[in-house]
Amino acid sequence: MISIKTNTIMAATTVTFAFAMSVSTAIADEKFVPDSTPTIIVPFGAGGGSDILARTIANVIDQLELLPTNIQVENHPGGSGARGYNYIAEQRGDPYTIGTVSVSFFTTPLLGSSPVDYRDFTPIAAIAMSPYIVAVPEGSDINDIADLKSRERLTTGTPGVVSDASLLSQLMQEQSGATIDAVPFDGVGEVLSAMLGGHIDFMFGNPGEIEPQLEAGTLRALAVSTDERLPSFPEVPTLEESGYDIEHVQLRGIVMPMEISDHAVSYWEDIFRQVAESDAWEEEYLNRFGDVPRFVGSEEFSGILEETNDLYARMMNELDIEQ
Amino acid sequence: MIESLELLAGGVVNAAAPALLFATFIGVLIGLMVGVLPGLGPAAGVAIMLPVAISFGGTAAIAALAGIYFGAMFGGAVTSILLGIPGDAPSVMTVIDGNAMAKKGEAGRALGMNVFASFVGGSIGIIFLALLSVPIASAALAFGPTEMTALMCFALSLVSVLGGRNMVKAFVSLFIGMWIGMIGLDPIGGPVRYTQGSIHFFDGIDFTIVAVGLFGFSAMFISLSSELRGSLQKHSFLSLMPNIADIVKCKVILVMGSIVGFFIGVIPGVGATASTMLSYGLAKKTSRNPDEFGQGAIGGVAAPEAANNASSYASMIPLFTLGIPGSATTAVLLGGLLMIGLQPGPLLFVNEPEFVWTVFGTFWTGNIMLVILTLLLTPFLASIVFVSRALLYPVVIGIVIFGVYSINYSTIDVGTALVAGIIGYLMLKLGYTPVPLILGLVLGPLLERGVRRTLISSQGDPSVFIERPISIVLLFLTIVVICMPLVKRGVRIVFTRLQASKRRLQ
Repeated sequence: MISIKTNTIMAATTVTFAFAMSVSTAIADEKFVPDSTPTIIVPFGAGGGSDILARTIANVIDQLELLPTNIQVENHPGGSGARGYNYIAEQRGDPYTIGTVSVSFFTTPLLGSSPVDYRDFTPIAAIAMSPYIVAVPEGSDINDIADLKSRERLTTGTPGVVSDASLLSQLMQEQSGATIDAVPFDGVGEVLSAMLGGHIDFMFGNPGEIEPQLEAGTLRALAVSTDERLPSFPEVPTLEESGYDIEHVQLRGIVMPMEISDHAVSYWEDIFRQVAESDAWEEEYLNRFGDVPRFVGSEEFSGILEETNDLYARMMNELDIEQ
Repeated sequence: MIESLELLAGGVVNAAAPALLFATFIGVLIGLMVGVLPGLGPAAGVAIMLPVAISFGGTAAIAALAGIYFGAMFGGAVTSILLGIPGDAPSVMTVIDGNAMAKKGEAGRALGMNVFASFVGGSIGIIFLALLSVPIASAALAFGPTEMTALMCFALSLVSVLGGRNMVKAFVSLFIGMWIGMIGLDPIGGPVRYTQGSIHFFDGIDFTIVAVGLFGFSAMFISLSSELRGSLQKHSFLSLMPNIADIVKCKVILVMGSIVGFFIGVIPGVGATASTMLSYGLAKKTSRNPDEFGQGAIGGVAAPEAANNASSYASMIPLFTLGIPGSATTAVLLGGLLMIGLQPGPLLFVNEPEFVWTVFGTFWTGNIMLVILTLLLTPFLASIVFVSRALLYPVVIGIVIFGVYSINYSTIDVGTALVAGIIGYLMLKLGYTPVPLILGLVLGPLLERGVRRTLISSQGDPSVFIERPISIVLLFLTIVVICMPLVKRGVRIVFTRLQASKRRLQ
């Protein structure tokens, strides 16, 4: 395995590629040490979810002094992420360009609107996990997930036509036999307004979006999309416990361009491991956004990227969106 | 009620602490600049300044960010009036009469009215915010897709008022705008529309960019093609000064605009720009001299500016009382709240009353600062009319290109603005007014979303539109607006015929 030339590794699938990388780095003698300023590229505008994620990561890295250099954040918005991701992919071989993974990382290429897709990046790590909570308004006559399952027709809202919420509602529809009409809104704010105004029956949301409403008692949680119950909501069952074969979460992932050295991959993997395991990260990101601690290394993350992409590809096929 | 006002007063006292005053001042000052710079609007301004403002910490961070928002609302009208180039989306309607006034040599009066209208709109907005936050937030939630559709029908019916003399041309212009609004990702169905495979149009075409080109560049192309080079217009020094008597003259329009702006602004997803269109349309519709609108009527500046300021305060209500961002700008502010360690949501008012009322207090101090700043600046800004166009326009074109470029750092956007400018030039030459195009571009996508979302929930049954009370009322008003001119004409015809037959009988 170690004797395989770099070029051959590149040609192999991402999974074997990453695996080969981590093996070869194990015996590496010379190390990668950054000597210029790394940049986290945010493919969206300032102030959004991806932007806050990138800036918090940069803050934590600064605070813990994990790098010998500074780290900066740059916004490259446009084309639903296509511009920024394209820019990252173009920096082939540059171990100083870092990107974060969002839903658009998969869906924009699947819509046929991006020259690059997930195969054009080196997976580095995932540093947190964001579950989805199924919620109904406080006054709803849907008391638990069994009630929800027994309905013949339901309306839900999604923050966009291609989103995790539409994926989840599609999976629920397939498995319960109920017809779920998913109304696409523009962003989760509008979904929440529609939910609280009684214009839809139920919604999916991240803890960061839903928790304040649950605390205030305006929404009730019915289920979570994780494989195990969440420590913060021990009384809320998982979808699997409730008879659905659904487990889907959003990983806060990190990618870099292709063709960066094995040393650089393991260097960055290690940096992000330290971020994910730090108290600062827990305090400034996990607690604030209700994310669950989780670290996934380069090799495993690469497999997850492929699985996730297949999931979205199937959803878009079902939604009859041409590619 | 009284209690709310006391809490607001307490907030204002807290907001007068030097550190907060300073943060607010920085915010409104940057906001003014962001507003004045064509292309850059409040959402982009707040987003760009977010990392810097967060470093102020706590209440000061939010005070500065909110200050940018309100400052941009004040500043947006400056270039609209002086150059005919909208500084940001919510000041597009101000171009129509504001720029006409500047051309007549009343730049100072128009700028002054912008300050007064912004102040009145802001003050009414803040007082309503303090008194009505909680009840109005729940009421706004009643506005679902069905009600949104009806509201958009009503707003679009005002095209019949704003379209100028030629109805056919007005509707052609409207439909071009609605078509441009469809470019990009289909918000309901999914696939992309009319992008020609380019990723640059995937997110659609930014309304501000079109507006800047359509109004700004086209006006410059027109003046380049006419013999204006080097000529100085006659302006008296007095024309640079605001006229305080205008407040009294426009009092009805100011109050009406503020109320319209407030109630539209509080509905998540509609936005300040739509509120200025409704406000302007209503002001013209209810005016005794509707023909003056478009020719430089002071009311045409008062209506949209009162509305967009009231709307900017109203849009804070869903954010602070429910934790719901109703617009692009408040979505960035929500990020700001999270980054300073607060949890926006229904409990924010309960858990952090001191914070909320202090922030509301800074809204008030910011409003006062903006009035003083902009009144002082008015004569200097207005004196731009003395500068020869041959000198002014190259500089302005440079600034506009910079402003448009800085939205997404994209040269494609600059190209789009130039194309919009050429289209605007052709429209003016052929006698089409660009105003309905802008209406279609802003309101069309909202109408499409409303109709399609409603029909998804109702499983394709259109009868829901006439089953819900708010929707019925709005649709009825739409019919009234459309039919009024016809009925009036009909009555007149019947009346003259009656008189004619009477005469014959005699």
